[in-house]
Amino acid sequence: MISGTLLLLILPLVMAGVVYSLLRWTALSALLSAGTALVLGIAAVALPLDQPMQLWGDRQIEMGEAVTFLGRELVLEQADRAAMAILFFTAAGLFLLAWRFTPRSLLFPMGLGLLSLLSGALLIRPPIYAALLVEIAAALSVFALQAESGPPARGGLRYLTFTTLALPGLLVTHWLMERYVLTPDETELLGTTAILLAVSFALLLGVVPFHTWVSTITNDSVPLASAFILTIGNGVIWFLLFEFLEAYPWLSDHPRFSPIVSTAGLAMVVVGALLAPAQRRPGSLMGYGALVDSGAALLALAMNDESGLTLVILSLLMRPFGLVLMAAGLTGLRAHSGNDDSFDALRGLGWKAPWSTAAFALGGLSVAGLPISAGFTWRWPLCRALAASNQNSVLVLILAGIGVMVGVWRGLAALLVRARSPKDRSVIPQSSSEGWLTAMVVIAAIGLGAAAGLFPQYLAPLAARLAETFTFYTP
Amino acid sequence: MPTLVDLLERVSFLAAMPAVAGVFVTAGTLAISRDWRLNSLALTVQYFFLVLLLTRLIRLEVAAVKGLIGWLICMVFYLTERRASTLEQPAPVEESATVSQRWRRWIISARASFHLLAGILISVAAYTAALRIPLPQVPGDITLACYLLAGLGLLLVGLSDDPMQVGLGLLTFLSGFELFYVALEPSLAVAGLMGAVSFLIALAAAYLRTIQIAAGREGAA
Repeated sequence: MISGTLLLLILPLVMAGVVYSLLRWTALSALLSAGTALVLGIAAVALPLDQPMQLWGDRQIEMGEAVTFLGRELVLEQADRAAMAILFFTAAGLFLLAWRFTPRSLLFPMGLGLLSLLSGALLIRPPIYAALLVEIAAALSVFALQAESGPPARGGLRYLTFTTLALPGLLVTHWLMERYVLTPDETELLGTTAILLAVSFALLLGVVPFHTWVSTITNDSVPLASAFILTIGNGVIWFLLFEFLEAYPWLSDHPRFSPIVSTAGLAMVVVGALLAPAQRRPGSLMGYGALVDSGAALLALAMNDESGLTLVILSLLMRPFGLVLMAAGLTGLRAHSGNDDSFDALRGLGWKAPWSTAAFALGGLSVAGLPISAGFTWRWPLCRALAASNQNSVLVLILAGIGVMVGVWRGLAALLVRARSPKDRSVIPQSSSEGWLTAMVVIAAIGLGAAAGLFPQYLAPLAARLAETFTFYTP
Repeated sequence: MPTLVDLLERVSFLAAMPAVAGVFVTAGTLAISRDWRLNSLALTVQYFFLVLLLTRLIRLEVAAVKGLIGWLICMVFYLTERRASTLEQPAPVEESATVSQRWRRWIISARASFHLLAGILISVAAYTAALRIPLPQVPGDITLACYLLAGLGLLLVGLSDDPMQVGLGLLTFLSGFELFYVALEPSLAVAGLMGAVSFLIALAAAYLRTIQIAAGREGAA
């Protein structure tokens, strides 16, 4: 009998080694990485939890079988399945785009290693040990975030720093709560726990004023690796937060929970909205776009009910369609401009790299929450839900979307400047320097994003079902 | 032949305030100095004092393993910086310039004096915190060592963008936390994972340092 839990942890690690040794064969390494992530995603969703499945010969696999690792239990529960599927499917899409935009990158083996560690973080019980796995993943991600040539990326180190600072709070919380069980009259332990958890998750989610790592990793690191951190890594942090809220329901029952979370979200949205249109580099713009997105998700969480939780999960489902696409476009543009991604260096590049430009612009518009984009599918219900109780937040959210759109528009304006001929006439290059395979991959990614935006009825119920597995908001 | 554990037992008389003073001096040196040889030595000695303090909270063998991980990290830092200094070898200078450089070494720079002042402020804050907010499950002197290591580690992280300095800062910060956390959770699994975290941080910092050197050489070429 093979334990499914073990498969989810070991297979990506083994494949990371295989992919690293095959890195010189670009297509093979990328397709192996994407295939592994896809297969594991399907296994996490499709295989039954409670009954063994015949694989080959006498071999059977049981997804729900618990495994003990270093004295801690690892078990795949119903709530984890969808979370794992989100991680693995996002990784598969990201690896496919990386095949065309960052070939031979350490993102493939490191990404698979990170998937294993982050899956472990979701599966380990008690969830407190997840903090250590997230920290190890953050240290590994430095290798993926660093480009092979060029100066050292500050983003990776800053991300590692903030994750390290979050570690003590998460670890000590467990001990505080164990002590509270023994001495329930020491109510100050609850206050200390709440403060430690709030600060730790603020550091991990990039809440203002701990947001500097977000824009730094998108500005100076490998864009698709930073998208990996902001979608998959960030997704795991969100699910860990849900597990903590599930384990300590008094946290969400506290009368100050909603105001604090709402203020944190609003601060992120305001800072993102103010800084996004002022950026002169698309990398920073992507970071501030992600900041607005996370802030809006915190506003949804502050609603303190199941619909809010559904919207947070929907945001995690939709975020990759914008951020990963934007990152892929940015990678392509940097490749054409000699790694200089200032708007000045990108002038007119849209005609040479139309598919990268399209990916960047359409991904950016989805991050901004433009109607009919993937990002709009959860921003609009959020605005409607908040409109009754908090009109100011709705106004700020809409203005933040416009702010990110202005930033994308400025980028697009620079990219689409036409070169002038000696006779002062605008000239459009006849052919693109991007291959047809890149075009196909970008078209597929844009198509998927458009489908998610046009037909949200297929993904929204998934988010609702996943939200139902958490009970911390149930009255 | 005495084992590492025997050697640690022989110097266990240092495992109180002398070790805290040692930690203060070594972490302070890391915060002020930019000389990689001095920093490597300070980190090595810091791990020695850390192991001495740990022996009061956990089994001697586990503390010794933590020390070994720490000294391996020091080796990574030393070898990386040694290679970097070889590759960054400056052009030969005239004898008069060498003499002036030798003198300049003894004059404290504006950066070092600022770091010294900030280090003193952090140390005073750590001392006050140790008196006002004692950590649970650990004695007062170890509380002071925890606050000193965490504070001076944060100072190192905050004052520099250099990969090695940030790496040293993160490791110092983690050492401070680990000294406290082993008293709360003395399990081997956590000790192993914390060791893995420290080692990976050192590897990441060393990797970024090699990238920095490579980029510098490409720029110069």
